[in-house]
Amino acid sequence: MPTYTYNDMQFTVEPGGAGWDISYRAPGGACAIAGTGLFPGLPESEAGPRALELIRTVFPVGIRSVGPDVLHPNTIGDLKIVGPDVAHPNFIYWNKDSVSCPVDL
Amino acid sequence: MEIKGSVVLVTGGGNGIGEAVVKHFAKRGAKVAIVDMVQKNIDRVVKDVKEMGGEAIGIQANVTSEADTARYIQATLAAFGKLNIAVSCAGIIRDGTLLSLDKETGKVSKKLGFDKWQAVIDTNLSGTFLCMRDAAEAMVNGGWEGLLVPISSVNKAGQVGQINYSSAKVADALMPKIIIGEFLMRGIRNIRCVAIAPGYTATPMLTQMNQEALKTILEDVHLGRLVAPEEIASMIGYCAENEALNATTIEITGGLCYPKGIAK
Repeated sequence: MPTYTYNDMQFTVEPGGAGWDISYRAPGGACAIAGTGLFPGLPESEAGPRALELIRTVFPVGIRSVGPDVLHPNTIGDLKIVGPDVAHPNFIYWNKDSVSCPVDL
Repeated sequence: MEIKGSVVLVTGGGNGIGEAVVKHFAKRGAKVAIVDMVQKNIDRVVKDVKEMGGEAIGIQANVTSEADTARYIQATLAAFGKLNIAVSCAGIIRDGTLLSLDKETGKVSKKLGFDKWQAVIDTNLSGTFLCMRDAAEAMVNGGWEGLLVPISSVNKAGQVGQINYSSAKVADALMPKIIIGEFLMRGIRNIRCVAIAPGYTATPMLTQMNQEALKTILEDVHLGRLVAPEEIASMIGYCAENEALNATTIEITGGLCYPKGIAK
């Protein structure tokens, strides 16, 4: 019965139905089933690595955030879309509506 | 398409219509990927599928995120090796009228916040777009038979107090026509698209609302009760099995009428 500690959680892969169940214990102690009946017919030696690969996909440690690439020459037909120049001194990041936050600006 | 052995992905699969869709397909031998924002709902539904003897994975994800969308598609393929049916049930409401007036002065006292508009558009429209796009990509590249199911609403007709929700749902209802038209243009023949537009359905959102208000709503429903989530799920199952259903939006309302008659 393979067990893995990953991303501060403890995962166990055990037989379930015709396949394998992946259960886990979260850092707070809560237990849950991440998947059930998976990889039917696979032996433990193959189900374990498949489960670990799946665990890494379902519970990523982090997500790589890319962009915006303000220099990218985006074009739609003949139109060239130029991204906001976030370094410009007059650039304002506006994320409030006019009623809730006029005075701060 | 045969349901048994197919792989079904359901966003918003942790409760309401999504949960019913998950269970409908799992009972009939499909493998299910449950996507939801709330981990405890995912855990509960995965456990229920386990008790049925089914196959399932749960993936916590935000449907408005491109990265999360890519991750839940990737996880589905890693678990089951293919994808056949994608049902976009994840949805929210943030109701309010465009303007509210001060009763004494008649002037505008409040306007619908842009945050309320954007949150509903992001989840109910962009989330559906991302799910349909990336599921279709996987189906085309994998060469699998596929069905895309955006969830619209009978309120696509335009519901007072729901400019955000109705705008998103009318757009969701248009998707099958556009997607299948484009698929025909591109020679993609292995994927169908059918949207479902439920009427007032017995989801936690509705059953927890003011019961007097609910009673008033039900006076306009010929069926005399809320539609059950299982009845919506059953229709989606039928859509999977009947391959002539394509490029359309099907309403399931129990006979929703305007007050005192005339079906909507």
